[in-house]
Amino acid sequence: MAGMKKPESIVQTAGYCGGCGHGIIQRLIAESVEELGIAEKTIAVVDIACAYWSLDALNFDGIAGPHGRCASVATGIKKVRPDANVYVHAGDGCSYVIGLAETCFAAARDIPITMIVVNNGIFGMTGGQLCLATTLEGDWTVSSVKGRNVEDTGKPFDVLQMLKSMDIEFAARGAVYDAKHIRELKKYIKKGFENQRDKKGFSIIEVLSPCPTNWKMTPVQAMEKIKDETEKIFPTGVFVDRGGAK
Amino acid sequence: MAKKKALTNVELCKGCRLCVGACPVGAIEALMQVNKKGYEIIRVDEDKCIGCGNCYTMCPDYVFSIEEV
Repeated sequence: MAGMKKPESIVQTAGYCGGCGHGIIQRLIAESVEELGIAEKTIAVVDIACAYWSLDALNFDGIAGPHGRCASVATGIKKVRPDANVYVHAGDGCSYVIGLAETCFAAARDIPITMIVVNNGIFGMTGGQLCLATTLEGDWTVSSVKGRNVEDTGKPFDVLQMLKSMDIEFAARGAVYDAKHIRELKKYIKKGFENQRDKKGFSIIEVLSPCPTNWKMTPVQAMEKIKDETEKIFPTGVFVDRGGAK
Repeated sequence: MAKKKALTNVELCKGCRLCVGACPVGAIEALMQVNKKGYEIIRVDEDKCIGCGNCYTMCPDYVFSIEEV
């Protein structure tokens, strides 16, 4: 193990809240891209939400698409620049609620992009509203003040299980609650980029991440909640692996 | 073999305290002192530090770097 230092691609600090998982994910992206030596041809697609900060922090070329349409924007970039390394860094509100159709059809077309979805179980940037796909049953949010009621809003659902039925290259879920899981998550993210480098297919990596500000918890409590509650509903691990990059 | 130690740049710290729990030897101490941004910072006890890199892995704000000293 050589020395560990902040990756060179991270040029300034981002405005994430203290204890936010986005900072860790952003570093894993920067490390993976630098290790593969593809920083020059990397194009980031971010969503208009908390992930937008990474445009400021990273010195890759980047674009922020219309809210929720990250997968479509990335598809367009990949079609006109097939050699570029296109990745999406977006949240669950973007990819699983407003942009579910875009995510599904990018997967159905098996476009060789790497999609990194931050599952924090809430709409973070807009102030903590209920996210239909990922807020757990009974959880408090500003739009479900008595806890999520399954009769009114349905149950959370596992998008990776849904995408499993499609012919995609790689789907995996990682978490950021301890160092072991972060190292595992980095392998998934790197694999996503390698699949793209080798012109394989659609890779999606979901990350269970905390939102201490909107969960009204301390960062340490938020990490414990992921470990004890969220991971039971959304299990981590590899869901689809078609072979891909070696 | 040169030993590795965790060096810190506490000006980047946002006071989340995730590193305190991630350290396997309890070398990171949470302080009440604040940095320029107004967040409560941490301090690494150099004698206890084994340079494992868990704090670097866990920190969302790039406070730590693991270097040979």
